[in-house]
Amino acid sequence: MDLTFDATEAQFRDELRDWLSTNGPGPEPEGEDEQYAWRRDWQRKLHDGGWAGVHWPVEYGGRGATMVESAIFYEELARSGHPLPANVLGLLLGGPTLMVWGTPEQKDRYLNPILSAEEIWCQGFSEPEAGSDFAAVKTRAVEQADGSFLVTGQKVWTSGAQYSKWCMLVARTDFDAAKHKGLTYFLMDMDQPEVQVRPLKQITGEAEFNELFIEDARIPAENVIGGVGNGWKVALTTLMNERAGLAFGLQVRLRVMLDELTEIAASSGQIEDPRVADTLGELHLRCEILRLTAYRGLTATMKYGQPGPEGSLTKWMWSETNQMLTQFAADVVGPEALTMGTKWSYELLRARGNTIEGGTTEILKNIVAERVLGLPKAR
Amino acid sequence: MNFDFTEDQQEIRATARDLLASRSTWERVRGHAEAGAQDEALYTELGGLGWPGIAVAEEHGGQGLGMVEFVILLEALGEACAAVPLRGTALAALFVEHAGSPGQQAQWLPGLASGELRGALGTWADGVGELVPDAVGADIVVLLDTDGGASLVPAADASIEPVASIDPTRRYARVSVAEGGGVELLTSDTSEALRRAEVGVAAGLVGVSQRALDMTVAFVKERKQFGVPIGSFQAVGHKAAQMLFDTEGARSATLFGAWAADADTDQLPLGAAMAKAAASAGGRTTTAAAIQLHGGIGFTWEADLHWLYKRAQLDAVFLGGPATHRARISALSAERVVAATR
Ligand SMILES: Cc1cc2nc3c(=O)[nH]c(=O)nc-3n(C[C@H](O)[C@H](O)[C@H](O)COP(=O)(O)OP(=O)(O)OC[C@H]3O[C@@H](n4cnc5c(N)ncnc54)[C@H](O)[C@@H]3O)c2cc1C
Repeated sequence: MDLTFDATEAQFRDELRDWLSTNGPGPEPEGEDEQYAWRRDWQRKLHDGGWAGVHWPVEYGGRGATMVESAIFYEELARSGHPLPANVLGLLLGGPTLMVWGTPEQKDRYLNPILSAEEIWCQGFSEPEAGSDFAAVKTRAVEQADGSFLVTGQKVWTSGAQYSKWCMLVARTDFDAAKHKGLTYFLMDMDQPEVQVRPLKQITGEAEFNELFIEDARIPAENVIGGVGNGWKVALTTLMNERAGLAFGLQVRLRVMLDELTEIAASSGQIEDPRVADTLGELHLRCEILRLTAYRGLTATMKYGQPGPEGSLTKWMWSETNQMLTQFAADVVGPEALTMGTKWSYELLRARGNTIEGGTTEILKNIVAERVLGLPKAR
Repeated sequence: MNFDFTEDQQEIRATARDLLASRSTWERVRGHAEAGAQDEALYTELGGLGWPGIAVAEEHGGQGLGMVEFVILLEALGEACAAVPLRGTALAALFVEHAGSPGQQAQWLPGLASGELRGALGTWADGVGELVPDAVGADIVVLLDTDGGASLVPAADASIEPVASIDPTRRYARVSVAEGGGVELLTSDTSEALRRAEVGVAAGLVGVSQRALDMTVAFVKERKQFGVPIGSFQAVGHKAAQMLFDTEGARSATLFGAWAADADTDQLPLGAAMAKAAASAGGRTTTAAAIQLHGGIGFTWEADLHWLYKRAQLDAVFLGGPATHRARISALSAERVVAATR
């Protein structure tokens, strides 16, 4: 057991810290579109510095970092206060899915523009009637004589669709097959009039996510990923990457916010109130346990190819802790925390989404009960 | 970065768990607890294997291994709910080793490390230690003051009156200095020993939680109501998932505390407080959930869950309950944050 970074890892961290301290995205502009463009520029900078696809293999233009280095990357990025790169779904989900399932031509064509943020990717899985039960998607893709597909349907909660060139789209191609079997995974070009993107205003007032109305959109045969009828398996690759990647950065973001709250509680004297101290203690405890548990999962993945039981707990831990923390800020920070336009009010509202996006906490608990504890399938 | 046991440690863990699974069955635990006795045969066997001295330096007759190995054994003992006074001996040895004089070390450590002498650790105020675990039959008792001082009381100088706590898998006593008896002060700083002891107690609680979880999972797969295994009800499955969450979280914190004791003592105060806070809270919630998910049978004497629940209750408050340790975490974190902003 060694909970320190070895010399190579420490060197990686120092080099990165150095780079992040002299390179940054500059001040954040006003306005959602402007902010997105700013994060896109930031990704270009990361790419030029060789830091965009840290965990991607060198053959695909990445840095080929180890899993620990990749964890360090997200930790340090969060610590620097700089934002995530704009094409986070492409980097974390789309690219890795293509690496597993894509043909050599697809990898050649798509991977590099993901890294450089030239082409942004979004994830078109959820539908109005298929959320947690995502295999129930109804969007239809009908094969044409020339082998291409015509797609019709509706997607919802599609984050970043308004900026995207490509959509990881799961649609039904076989209407007679069993639910999980009739699905196909496509890369859909968002630049066509048959795809309408309507922003959905969310709890924070902004519109990170959208509805997609798709009517007879055309997808060429070469944009099928992993084969027709194999969409469920390909989608699982995407979803697994979703759960694995971000924990380290999120954990550091929590730590940074918590230290800020601690500083406020200490300088205002509120920490003398045992109730405040108790909650702070609990939050620091959870935050550290999250970090440690994430590293346990990482070690298990490196040694055994998959995380142990603890691996399925980190997203659940993080989302609950973030909600607890941002709620606590309303007590400690005071009126500012409930005033529109402040960081704390934004975090308080945004945190509600954490236990929904990427699999709700209830679904995660089902997964733990069934796959980790081996209980019979829930009813 | 490698957050896993070494091969040797895995081996120690597997051997310890196998041994206890065969030696400390519920039948044996129940038998001893009901008789108000400890499992002397098992204690002797474990002494022979060097368990009490696993973390004691070789020069003092121990095995010279670290806190990680120490918590592996204490977790296994908690998991088995073993009715042996081994923890008391091992915790007393921590204090003699880390805070005792060379004379005290020479006098006590070899005997404690081999299990031939028995020790106990407790807290006292105004000259009385209430509910000191493993004190009955101990050769020496280490008693902690509220201000961090520690005294060593040889049994010959002590008055040790057995007290029936709700947990009969350990023997508890009220300890004071007998008339004309003497007390030796441990002269060095006791905080490092105490931090290690907290981590050790936490490890036992992690074991208790793990056992409660395992018994519950096995039960809810078997027990049927409404024509189906109750484990297929989400209210049941989610509660079991929460048990895993609490157990694994406490395990992460406890391993961190043990690692810090071995490799980075600057982080030991935080690690120990985290371990004890998480494992104490987790021990309480997991054992309570185990009873709930067993239904009426869980409330019976026969179901054996109550031994875990009772042990968790006593261990959760021993050396400070969850709130005490959360307060320490809070204070340590505030110190770190304020120092960084200065
Ligand atoms: C901020 C945000 C961003 C998102 N971005 C994307 C995106 O980019 N692409 C995309 O495809 N999707 C995205 N989503 C959608 C997200 O994946 C879904 O919202 C989520 O999977 C839940 O589906 P649902 O909204 O249909 O809720 P439902 O599935 O209807 O769930 C409603 C409630 O019922 C509970 N529930 C449902 N089924 C069960 C069950 N079997 N057992 C117990 N409880 C159950 C849920 O836990 C929840 O509490 C995003 C969501 C959010 C909040």
